[in-house]
Amino acid sequence: MSTLSPSRPSAGPSESTRWRTVDIVVVAALAVAFGVVFWFWDVYVWPWASFLSSPGEYAISGVWLLPAVVAPLVVRKPGAAIFAEMVAAIVSVLLGNQWGLDVLLSGFVQGAGAELIFAFVLYRNFSWLVAALAGAGAGLGEALHDLPVYYSSFDVPYQVGIVVLDVLSAVTIAGVGGWLLVRAIRQTGALQAFPANE
Amino acid sequence: MSLLPAPLAPVRPAFLTRVTPVARLTAGMTWLVAAIVTLDPAVPTRLVVAAVVALVLWSGLPLRRIPGRLAPLGLAILSLTVFSILLSGSNADRSIAALVELGPIRITGPAVSAGLAIGIRVVVIGLTTLLVFGPSDPTRLADSLVQQWHAPDRFAYGTLAALRVAPILAGDWAVISAARRLRGIQPRGAVGRTRDLGDRLLVMLVSSIRRAERLALAMDARGFDSGIRRTHFRELRVGWRDLLTVAVALAVAAAALVLPR
Repeated sequence: MSTLSPSRPSAGPSESTRWRTVDIVVVAALAVAFGVVFWFWDVYVWPWASFLSSPGEYAISGVWLLPAVVAPLVVRKPGAAIFAEMVAAIVSVLLGNQWGLDVLLSGFVQGAGAELIFAFVLYRNFSWLVAALAGAGAGLGEALHDLPVYYSSFDVPYQVGIVVLDVLSAVTIAGVGGWLLVRAIRQTGALQAFPANE
Repeated sequence: MSLLPAPLAPVRPAFLTRVTPVARLTAGMTWLVAAIVTLDPAVPTRLVVAAVVALVLWSGLPLRRIPGRLAPLGLAILSLTVFSILLSGSNADRSIAALVELGPIRITGPAVSAGLAIGIRVVVIGLTTLLVFGPSDPTRLADSLVQQWHAPDRFAYGTLAALRVAPILAGDWAVISAARRLRGIQPRGAVGRTRDLGDRLLVMLVSSIRRAERLALAMDARGFDSGIRRTHFRELRVGWRDLLTVAVALAVAAAALVLPR
């Protein structure tokens, strides 16, 4: 599977950073699957959690950040976090959630938060620690967007509470949870085409 | 069997169906920004009126299906508005006169006004989204992103290929559930059910990855990654409609922000 495009001249960027077709389509497919999960989550889970516990619902906000950690762990290419998070966001909009167009903004900052961490280790380290930090980065991105857009009138202690819950949730659910998820996927043998399989 | 909502598509030709997707996206973003930058409820209210007018007159969308499509907004708006009012910082400010004082609960005018602004903001976002994504399908969006904004074509069309798989996921889910029942797996209690949900999600992700790998192989067999410069099958033309849409949206956003109350 690793020689999917043998005929292409090697004039472009090096093999470790160039996106093959299989990288693009697998990340997009993962993102589509997460987008469908997001839609369900947005419409059936989040409004109730928010209605019953606001702002405590941020304890489960890490679910939205899973693509930003899972996709880079699978394909190990620059840009995977932003690409996956944006595609998942667009799919949830196309299905119809309550945040619509705005998730293009939140998807971008969430992906960028995780992307910065993977870029900082030059896309060479994909340990659980880096995954947890990437989760935290995505969580900070999420807070950076959500506070001004939806919680600007909240009193300061509640805003701080949102950031703390958001980052904790991002580290556990998206970071460590995403790392465990990729390990489980790898154990099924589905990632033979990717470097993560070493 | 499909668990997913049917996509909303235009039922008649209309002005916005002939505007390119990225022009609608640019126009929509101006309203989103205008609704976000202020806590004055008058601004998003004006934008809601403008969006409803545009939906009725120029979107070509089936109007009877729109309330159902916007239903998910209901609870979200209610809880966001109520909690924005209850947890507002201005309630603690003793120099602002209270509208309501009930034991520990104190609610001020600025808190109510900001809470309403944030609630109506969500309505603006919902309606604007229908105007941006409603009048055309994802294929046209990908064409538009590649031809007008020079998005990398392999990423745009690779994603479009993966998107075709979305309706199959619901069927996958049913098969996975049936297979687990057949094996006699019966989760008990909240923890058991959550674990079971996680297991089924894992199987769904693995099957999507395997399907995507086969899809990529088929695409490469047809020269998807040949490196030869791609030409466009459906050429999009930018015209006066695109310029007019962006200009009018910008003017409406500016007017909504600066008009006196």
